[in-house]
Amino acid sequence: MSFLFGGGKSVEGSVDPAKIEMAVAELDMITDVFNRLVNSCHTKCISSTPNNHRYVEGDLLKGESVCIDRCTAKFFEVNKKVGERMSAMGSAAQATGSFGR
Amino acid sequence: MDFSQFNGTEQAHMTKVIEKKQMQDFMRLYSGLVERCFNACAQDFTSKALTTNESTCVQNCTDKFLKHSERVGARFAEHNAGEWRSPHFII
Repeated sequence: MSFLFGGGKSVEGSVDPAKIEMAVAELDMITDVFNRLVNSCHTKCISSTPNNHRYVEGDLLKGESVCIDRCTAKFFEVNKKVGERMSAMGSAAQATGSFGR
Repeated sequence: MDFSQFNGTEQAHMTKVIEKKQMQDFMRLYSGLVERCFNACAQDFTSKALTTNESTCVQNCTDKFLKHSERVGARFAEHNAGEWRSPHFII
């Protein structure tokens, strides 16, 4: 996503607040997505399974590992799909000059 | 993330920001884990000490969560490596 930063190298020693702000926003977004991913897949693959209600096992079971892999892949797919739908809605709204409906 | 467009001062600034966020993340992970494992494991309130079962449960809960998070992190990094072409991005 380095296209977000734009521009070439700025003058040595000076700090461009806009560039920093963009980088921080990107960092925050990535961290947020990651934390949501961890929470969602933990709920779906680990804490919801009956044998984990008392945590008799500290290692990931085979089935849990497979579930995590599928869960993350699915999460990214949903992420992409929602993004596509939203940008489609956005361009449709721009074309008609209104949002929604 | 790609910081090659950043000059030295900006890179130093970002390093500080990242360090601060890592600290915040760690604290959040800690308190989140306490809450998660307390809710899952603390069942018996006839005693104020954790029972043997409860302590084992807490230990397993913590281990499992960290392993879970590690695995998700690996998949996440793989995904990002493909999508965003960002060799500097480590989580």
